[in-house]
This record gives sequence, structure tokens and C-alpha cells, in this order.
Amino acid sequence: MITSSGRAWKFSSDISSDQLISARHVFEFDPRMLRHHLLADVRPEFAQQAQPGDVLVAGRNFSHGSNHSHPFLAMKALGVGLLCRSLSRGPFRLAIFMGVPLLMVNSEVLDAIEDGQQLDINFSLGSIVNVTTGQQMQVAPLAPFLQEIVDAGGGLEYVKSTLMS
Amino acid sequence: MAATMTQKILARVSGRATVRHGEIIWAVPDLVTAPEVSFGAYVKRIREIGVTKLARPERVAVIIDHEVPVHSAAGAERNKLTRQLAQELSVGHFFDGEGITHPLMVERGLVQPGMFAAGADSHAPGLGAVGALSVPFGFEVAMMLATGQIWMQVPETIRVRLHGACPAGVAARDIVLAVMQQLDDEATSYRVIEYQGEGLASLSVPERMTICGLCVDAGAKSGIATSDQRCVDYLHSLGIPDAQLLSSDADAEFAMTIDLDLARLTPRVSIPPSPNHVREAQAMADITIQHAYIGSCASGSIEDLRAAASILRGRKVHAGVNLLVIPATQRVFQQALQEGLLTELTQAGATISPSTCGPCFGGIAQLRAGERRISTSTRNDPGRMGSHEAEIFLASAMTVAASAIAGHIADPRQFAVGPDDRSAA
Repeated sequence: MITSSGRAWKFSSDISSDQLISARHVFEFDPRMLRHHLLADVRPEFAQQAQPGDVLVAGRNFSHGSNHSHPFLAMKALGVGLLCRSLSRGPFRLAIFMGVPLLMVNSEVLDAIEDGQQLDINFSLGSIVNVTTGQQMQVAPLAPFLQEIVDAGGGLEYVKSTLMS
Repeated sequence: MAATMTQKILARVSGRATVRHGEIIWAVPDLVTAPEVSFGAYVKRIREIGVTKLARPERVAVIIDHEVPVHSAAGAERNKLTRQLAQELSVGHFFDGEGITHPLMVERGLVQPGMFAAGADSHAPGLGAVGALSVPFGFEVAMMLATGQIWMQVPETIRVRLHGACPAGVAARDIVLAVMQQLDDEATSYRVIEYQGEGLASLSVPERMTICGLCVDAGAKSGIATSDQRCVDYLHSLGIPDAQLLSSDADAEFAMTIDLDLARLTPRVSIPPSPNHVREAQAMADITIQHAYIGSCASGSIEDLRAAASILRGRKVHAGVNLLVIPATQRVFQQALQEGLLTELTQAGATISPSTCGPCFGGIAQLRAGERRISTSTRNDPGRMGSHEAEIFLASAMTVAASAIAGHIADPRQFAVGPDDRSAA
């Protein structure tokens, strides 16, 4: 069961992978370094202030563009989850592979969350509580197979548990 | 059951007779490619979970292409480690500064119709040019190195039927930009774009690499082209005698169909901040440029260099413009030398650099605030080539060459010669 409790960091639609982490860091794969670069050009205070349990809340087409793993390595290192209206197949897979908890949400849910509000989320069940407003929301969780990978902590941990079991 | 090319390929590599759209399968890639950018990081990661050898090393290709020649201490260290790991882990194919991964895989005959290729790099779909399904996976390549397999959700296909041939001055880039104008991210998400139709025969395999490779920038999972007679002939010329025709069944299920009349296409340009923001080149003469670049995995082929030379021959690059040309592979470089293209391009004022991905991600030839570049590369996100206050415009080699002469974005049709003249050149 994957749950989180923390602050919403709200962003627009069409945040590209280059905006999440600049392509100049393309050779960097150490999550402890990458976490400092996440959204540095869009919202510099984010990487300093984000806490485990916080979530990125974004609109359509999250992390579009280059199929870079870096934003998701950084999100995993920061311990932040993701709510978004859509993301294309490349970043969708990378989020799951890195074990970043995520839910796809509709525009009603997006409209009910403001930047800075407190959210309690159960990713496994698809339940979202806006603690600030008291509003409870329900969306479809990931397909069970994908949820299993996220629950394991990511693709390689999933493989490790299957190889060793 | 009628099937798309993608379904046929995924059925074979998952050991099934048929696969349905949307179902999750475990697939075994025929080829896995990883550049020096990330190969060492993947190996480090799989070693952390106790994996000491690659599941199918003979199917793995490792390529040093992003920083060639190396120009940093960190890069030199990375290359040293990459060479050492490639040897230690007995990878099947190792290329050290011989060109950019995707065109290299095609020209060395490592990819054929019906294959499933998995790449670490975003523009892996270029291999769709030869009727292979080639998909970018980023860090998930680590999973394939460790286990030899990967989960896949079987994607739907958007069919793009090409009719006729491009007029003079119009190129493969303009075809894929026209496709992007008709498809938004919701239409392309988790789908493959498949090119077919009699108009496909007007495109060479390198031109097909452009239209397939840039499908990822349209938001699609991949791009693939029918393996037709022209494709098979090309592969035969590379010494692959068993290359086969491969197409979707006519009654296969397609998510969408787009018909494109190539004869009616015009030169187009992607404007910042994204490749799918497309405008007509002829309407952009007020955009002055200081830099022009011809190269990349999508547009550094011998055809691109011939097209550029056809525009630049006997002309000069504008005094205020710096034109950089990078042949995509060493073999393209050698071919361009033999054909005299590099002489013509340098006489016109171009600088030639060794085969590398370099400028595409700001590795070399960076831009400063306020500067603009028109480029044949793949992405134009702000900051991609240096400063966030620089602007990148993307277009065909002909449009880039015409713009380099004019000093502003220019429609190449005012310089272009007919297809007959081009092939005679």
C-alpha cells in the first residue's frame, strides 16, 4: 500500500522533460545530484523545499519531449509523487520503473487542488483527500501489474524480488 | 487475425501467435542499444541488485556518440569506463566514435524488417525506417540488460498513407511536420505512427529515418515504415540477403488514418518551444538567425548533405551566420568526401565536425541569450543548446541551407533545383 501525506506543488500543462531537468545534466545519473536540479529553471525553490510525501500536480502531457530518465530519478530521490492529467508513454513508463507513485486525474480533481494545499493520497486505492479543503476524491489507480512494480519500489526492485523468489 | 506491423512484431518477440491492442506482454528485444551517456549508469545500477552479467550480451550495442571527440575530463573518464565495461560484459557490438547510434545501427545492417529494437536514447524510433519496431526506454534498458526482456503494452497504430512525391525544395522533415500538425499529444499517446502507401517509395531509407525518428517528438511511442521493395533493395545493398517485405494487413485495426498528398506539401519550420509548433517557412522571413546546423540522428545522412550542397553550391553563407555541418556517421562523412560535398559546403562557408550528437543537447556549439539557430536536429526546448534565452528553429537541410545563405529563415524553393537535377548531382 503506497500512501503519501504532504504539500501540493502545482504546475501547468506541457511541462517538458527539459523543463523538469535541463538537458545540460544529461550525463548525470546520480539521484543525489539530480534532486537539486528538478524544476530548477521553472521554480527554483522547489528542490530546496520539497519534502518526502509532497506531490507534483500537473496538467496534460507531463514530461513530454526527450525520453529522459532524469526527472524521475530526481523525483524518486526527493520522495515526491505525481498527479497529472496525462503523460505520454515514455515518461509514464519511466515513472513506474523508478517507482514514483502516480495517479492519472481528471480536470475536476486538478481544479480542486491549489498550490500549497495539503494532500493525503492512497496511490494503491486511488483516493485523494485535500486536507486543506476537506474534499475527498476518487480516481482509478494504476493497473494491478503496474502497481506491483511501483509497490516493489521500481522495475529493478521488482525484478530482484522475482529473480530471488 | 488481421494485424498491424507492430502487432506482428510484438507477437513474434513475445512468443505468441497474436497480440491484442492494450494487453501487457513480456517481449524479448532483438537489439538493445545504449550510448556512453548512460551505459555505465545502467551497469552500476544492475550490479547494485546483484546482476553480474548481461542476460543476452550478443544483442547489446554500446555506442560512444554523444561527446566525440571527448572534450571534458568527466567525458574522458566516462568513455574509459564504457570501453572497459563493453569488453568485460562481452557486448555484441561496440562503436567508438563511428557515428550516431540510430543511423549507425541501420548502415551497419544491425536492424532489419520485423525486428524489435529497444534503445536508451529518445530517438530510437529512427530504426523504424527499415520496418523494425524500435522504441525508446531510457533507464529501463537496465532491466533489459539484466533480464533480456521488458514488459510492453501493445500499442494501437495511427496509419499515415503517403501519396505522390515531394516537390523540389520539400523534404522528409516537412512530411513529419505536416503529420505533427494533424496530431496532438492525446492522439499520439501510447500509439505507433506507421507510414505506408505508394508515396513511401519516393523516400530513401535515410529519409524514412527522419519521418520515423521524429515520431517521438509528436508524442508517439514509435514510428515505423512499411518494408517495401525499396527498403529491401537498400538492405540487400548492405549485404543483408534475407531482408523481407513487411506490412500491416489491409484489414488490420487502426486507431486513425491520415492521408498526405506529398505533392502539395510546403517547407515547414518548428518554432520554439516544441517541435510540434509548426509554421510555414515562407512566412518567417522576418526571423533573423546567427547560427545554422545540419546534422543529428534524424538529418545527418548523405541525402541531407546532398540536399544542403544543392542549395549552397556556388553560394556563400551569410556573413552574420555560422553554419555547422556534422555527417551522422563516419561512413556518411567518407561518402560526402568522395562526392566532393564537404569541399562544396566548406567553400560556401560551413564548418564540418566529426560525427556526434553534440549540438543537439548543447554538448558543443552552444548558443547565448538572444541568439537564434535554425537546425535539422530533433528538439528545440528552451535551453536545449545553451541559454534559455536562445531560440531554436527546426527544419529540413534545404531550409536550413537556404536560411544560412539568407541570414533569416528562408523558403528553400527559391534556391531549389528539381529532383532530376538533384539525383544527377
